[in-house]
Amino acid sequence: MAEAALPGSSSTASAAARRAVQNINAPLWRNAIFIAPYLLFFVTLLVVPLFWGIWLSLHKADAFGTGRFVGLDNYLRLFRDKIFLQAVGNTFYFVFLTVPALALIGLFLALALNRKTKTAAALRAVYFSSSVLSVTIVTLIWRIVFIGNFGLLATIYGWFGATAPAFLSDPKLTMIGIAIATVWWCIGLPMMLFLSALQQVPQEIYEAAALDNASRWRTLWHITLPSIRRTFVLVIIIEIVLQFQLFGQARLMTQGGPNNVSKPIVLYIYEAAFTKWDLGLGAAASEILFILIMIAALAQYFISRRKGVEG
Amino acid sequence: MTHTLRRFMLTAASVLALTAAAPALAATELTVQRFFGACDAEFGTNTDASKAVGECGIMTSLINKFNADNPDVHVTVTTVEWPGYDQLTAQFAAGDPPDIVTIHHSVLGDYQSKGLLMGLDDLLKSVGVAPSDFTEASLSGVTKDGQIYALPIDNWTMLFHINMDLFKKAGLVNADGTPKLPTSVDELMAQAKEFKEKTDKPYFVQNLANEVALYTRNLYTYLFQQDSGAFADPKLVKINTPEAKKVLEMYKAIYDNDYTTKDMDYAAGINAFLAGEGGVHLNGTWVIGDYTASSETPGTALNAGGYAVYPYPQLFSGKKAQYADGHSWAVSQKDRTPEEEAAIGKFLKFFNDNDFEWSRTGHLPAVKAVLGSEEFKALPHRDTISAVATLGTPLPSTVQRQFAIQDIIGQEMNAAVTGQKEIDAALADMESRINDLLANI
Repeated sequence: MAEAALPGSSSTASAAARRAVQNINAPLWRNAIFIAPYLLFFVTLLVVPLFWGIWLSLHKADAFGTGRFVGLDNYLRLFRDKIFLQAVGNTFYFVFLTVPALALIGLFLALALNRKTKTAAALRAVYFSSSVLSVTIVTLIWRIVFIGNFGLLATIYGWFGATAPAFLSDPKLTMIGIAIATVWWCIGLPMMLFLSALQQVPQEIYEAAALDNASRWRTLWHITLPSIRRTFVLVIIIEIVLQFQLFGQARLMTQGGPNNVSKPIVLYIYEAAFTKWDLGLGAAASEILFILIMIAALAQYFISRRKGVEG
Repeated sequence: MTHTLRRFMLTAASVLALTAAAPALAATELTVQRFFGACDAEFGTNTDASKAVGECGIMTSLINKFNADNPDVHVTVTTVEWPGYDQLTAQFAAGDPPDIVTIHHSVLGDYQSKGLLMGLDDLLKSVGVAPSDFTEASLSGVTKDGQIYALPIDNWTMLFHINMDLFKKAGLVNADGTPKLPTSVDELMAQAKEFKEKTDKPYFVQNLANEVALYTRNLYTYLFQQDSGAFADPKLVKINTPEAKKVLEMYKAIYDNDYTTKDMDYAAGINAFLAGEGGVHLNGTWVIGDYTASSETPGTALNAGGYAVYPYPQLFSGKKAQYADGHSWAVSQKDRTPEEEAAIGKFLKFFNDNDFEWSRTGHLPAVKAVLGSEEFKALPHRDTISAVATLGTPLPSTVQRQFAIQDIIGQEMNAAVTGQKEIDAALADMESRINDLLANI
């Protein structure tokens, strides 16, 4: 570069120097080394399994051999399988139960705890603390609450001589029971996302609103909520993608029962692959779940892009 | 600098050499995977199995004893949640199965047919265990294609565990002090009604929530008692039959009339029976030891009037039978050194020799000599349940994926009994789902 700046050098030298200058920003193969470590794991742990899964879903296979090619047979079996269709329905129902609750309760907690007091800091930690527990612990806690005759709920109802609702065995209540446990478990993340969004709203706007004598409601409705609307969309999309993958809670709290009313898609996949040893069928069901989640992820992409243009 | 580096390299090399040499001196490592629960707090260091109670306690103590008695072998135990087959399947698929693993007789065929288990004829012979040592039920449970594929340790079945205090209050006791048990469906309903009226408690304590096994075993027992050929063709099950309908109707009537506890899972069912919440607990042979211990403790519900245990009553006019299965130790197929094989042989021989201790759980012993021994007969309640040795009937061993079938039957029967589904619809779905499963093996 210094050479290029020197006057009076020969034309070939300056041409070479110019090339060197251009090459700094030009694509270079050796730059790939920087992303190679990431790429290696991305390809081996994500891309290869993705295509392997698609390949498996076209086979009649168990865990001990590749089996034979059956084309789309596994997919046709899925669409004829009442339990699978029920599992898809259950999953949507669960997303419908949890996502709005997580978004609204998360927002409410964030609004309530967005202050600089010690109590608020302590409560933030308390509400977030459930998120660090493993699914096993979470379901254990909620089983102790819900279980008939001996559970916390049954004990409390017992004081009033009433029978507690059977959240683990009543077909109308099991999904709601799982949703309650899930919201309790997952509330930390949306709360934190909302808190960080709230803290980014410029303080001057609130000062201006205060000078205009705006009521708390008006401030909330016209300043706070519009300012965090992109975070709201983000929370909704993240939670849809996460809650579509419901597995552990249903497996450990109800085993998908009774009568399969709380069996989500992932539990169906697990049972197909590991209990029935029908790996091809499980892989086909995974591809359907993949497509469902991809639709949710694409929705996020398009919505955030539209907002970006507007903003 | 070079000198330091060289010294460092030499030190590292000698450390490596030492670690490499160590295994030659150390004990042969065996990995054992089992269910039966974890109870290390109570029995983690106990090596005297005769002091232990219950499946978990006796199993833990026996393995502790094996490790203590055999310094040249070291057994590492992984405890899995019952029954642990999903995990085992994944381990086999990943090429990393445990050396020795607990497997039900009913499941052995699934793994054996895939060539994942080691045939044990020669190994058992080498340690002096002969096939003729086992009871007929145990031997047939572990024999596939004429070869033994696991060391049987017991046969088990489901039983009527009875709270005698409540039975006395209900007036359901014979002159000789034994409980009055029904001999037909109608009699069962009448006794359950009487029981409920006199004690204000349900006749049955059942774990009906989050459960598939109990439903399935109940159905099998009463299908056998009607001579139903539901599993005559191992690839095409016929379960949507009048016989099955009778069984489901009976359990639905029990549920609808509140003759049973509801909404309990397995653990809650046990707690409820121990707390005296009902007359008859439907559970397996494995709780006899625990329940007997409870009945000998003053102040408990079972201590009040005594604890009795009987096979399922014969409610239908067919063959006298009830569903049975068994536990066994299977060995995974792997390349092993002669030392490792010898260590496995020792382990199996040890369990064969200690089958009496294991039978104290309540299970029927797999070793003929133990079943006939005075010591076994002297154990509590063995007089009433010994009939199970002839009553016990497994599903035909040619039926594959018996645990997956159990899931389907349990789910559908649960739906029918609790009224979520019509009985006919549940039976139709049960049959088509099982046959779809079997057609796609």
